[in-house]
Amino acid sequence: MYHYSPEDSKFLVERVDQFEKQLNRHLAGDLDEAKFRSLRLRNGLYMELHAHMLRVAIPYGTLNSSQLRALADVADKYDRGFGHFTTRQNIQFNWIELPEIANLLRELSDVGLHAIQTSGKATRNITADPLSGLTEGEIEDARPYCELIRRWFNLHPEFSWLPGKFKIAINGAKLDETALRIHDLGLRLVRNSKGELGFSVFVGGGLGAAAMVGPKTASFVALDDILSYLESAMRIYNLKGRRDHQKRLRIKFLVRELGADEYSRLVDEDWQQTKDDPELKLNLAELEELKKDFALPIKPINLNGFEEKVDFNYSIWKKNNVRSHKVSGYSIVNISLTKLGAAPGDATSEQMRILADLADEYSASELRTTKRQTIVFPYVRKDQVFDLWQSLEKYGLASPHQGTLAQIVACPGGDYCDLAKAVSIPIATRVQQRFDDMDKLLDIGDLNINISGCENSCAHHHVADIGLLGMQKNGEEYYQITLAGETLHETNIGKKLGPSVSGDVVVDAVEEIVNVYLDNREEEERFTDVFKRIGIKPFKEKVYE
Amino acid sequence: MSDILEPKSIVNKANENIELVEFDEFINNINKYETLGVGVIIQPSDDIILLKDSLYFIETVILDFNNFDDGRGYSQAYFLSKRWGFKGEIIGINAHLDQLQFMLRSGVTSYELLEDYKDFNEDDYSNGFSICYQAAANNSGLKQKY
Repeated sequence: MYHYSPEDSKFLVERVDQFEKQLNRHLAGDLDEAKFRSLRLRNGLYMELHAHMLRVAIPYGTLNSSQLRALADVADKYDRGFGHFTTRQNIQFNWIELPEIANLLRELSDVGLHAIQTSGKATRNITADPLSGLTEGEIEDARPYCELIRRWFNLHPEFSWLPGKFKIAINGAKLDETALRIHDLGLRLVRNSKGELGFSVFVGGGLGAAAMVGPKTASFVALDDILSYLESAMRIYNLKGRRDHQKRLRIKFLVRELGADEYSRLVDEDWQQTKDDPELKLNLAELEELKKDFALPIKPINLNGFEEKVDFNYSIWKKNNVRSHKVSGYSIVNISLTKLGAAPGDATSEQMRILADLADEYSASELRTTKRQTIVFPYVRKDQVFDLWQSLEKYGLASPHQGTLAQIVACPGGDYCDLAKAVSIPIATRVQQRFDDMDKLLDIGDLNINISGCENSCAHHHVADIGLLGMQKNGEEYYQITLAGETLHETNIGKKLGPSVSGDVVVDAVEEIVNVYLDNREEEERFTDVFKRIGIKPFKEKVYE
Repeated sequence: MSDILEPKSIVNKANENIELVEFDEFINNINKYETLGVGVIIQPSDDIILLKDSLYFIETVILDFNNFDDGRGYSQAYFLSKRWGFKGEIIGINAHLDQLQFMLRSGVTSYELLEDYKDFNEDDYSNGFSICYQAAANNSGLKQKY
């Protein structure tokens, strides 16, 4: 597994030292709130409804057990004993005291974790497929590229004060677990007709009030040219992006206003001036070194004669939570943190330590985090999956909800977030209670429900099978419903069903939608395929009749 | 980069007598200034590209960093310094203490801090990074890892 070098670790400490001095100036009244806000956000620190919230990066979603234990310690020492795994491979702590932030960050830097650029108008944590390196058919593991590009835009002098936040995702797999086309910039690893490796580039995707699928701006950028291309893409945004309207800061508005062709032309024009600059070439030697660090720590094993245990509950859990691995003899295990009444993605410090211990025992000390706010054990021997399940059962972590409707993605919503217009977690709980029947859940299959408490869309409701967006109407909480959003096979923004429905009846509406799906489904047909075949009308009729 | 580690106003005194003109005035009267030697004041919204063909007779370019959240000045400095190799002075005015590291690495050669920072304590100020992760107009003093 990749670890930061001593010089990287030193950089993390230097960044904490710098932020501590800025914090002290602010607390002494020498740095006003507006400037401090801009600076603290670049260090992952928000002022939320009740306290400060800190967002810590989990680069490309990969953690080792020591890092998870350090996060558990932070949860106990500086928070209220839990952390919240987000949809973009970060973890958030919601009860941070401002004067303690530097010590907290120093403790994290000891294990190579940081909060640099997890917020603010700069390049955010770069996300990757949580199954990178694990599945058949993958072009390449995206994580070494994530790491090189993350480094390049780390305190980049030209691009640290962009018009808006800038989220990048990189995918090297067949299926898009990263949702790259709803990112400000998405990179897809591809091979050209000569078999050479490079990237297709998509710019201007995003959710929120003006959800948009990012158009392709380049079909093939060679590996060593990617940094210069990214710089040009950001330079055009930095110079021409909207700064005059708070709701139009993101690059999607620039791409929409210029048109994708004109934006692409401007980027290309700038790029032609820099692409041959040797200083901007991706360091291919460093890339090869990084690939060694990211190489899988397992070799194929022969498990001839191994017989799977027979247990009803285990078989249900296994069906939903275990995937095949490209390395023979191994499985990928997905662990759901879902619990009724708790925010999806929440984990207690005790759960984090248990997961760290289990990762040491069963998964080469490595874990991954996913945009569905679950934890992946990437290297579990097939003949140890049952033992792992038993341990998870013992600790209440063997929820078989992964891949079912009950694995709801929800933001903290009105219970925690001062931007929220409505609650999210209580709605998720009510949906889970309504569908609290494993036979029914298994019958429904993999159907995604995402709930966002405001149009910032932190729960990615636009790209769920069923998306709920919280809003206020005459002082009451309402929910706009979108259907058939997706990112895995292709990227589509969900279609609005009709007028928003009140919080009182939104769960009834969800149930009606699921029933329309079940009534019209042919064999193993997915929700989005049914929707494409029968259209929105049957859903509309049931919900609004 | 030693300038970053020891922050102070380093505007070249020899340039103090150069006539300074706003960007629009300059663009509308380029011929008038061609023989004079001139400094041009650029705001973030000004199109720096229009300056490119006149750089050979411009002595200084002054970039205004007053708006803390407006990052266009860094790209303007980049164009002048790295892209076009401008040899004159690139002065960042209305500069903020916490942004000097970005200004100087983008190519700003001298700066004047805003009045707000006149009493700043150098001990409270730190851009003390030992490493940088990207090529920029100015990487001096930093170990480069990329």
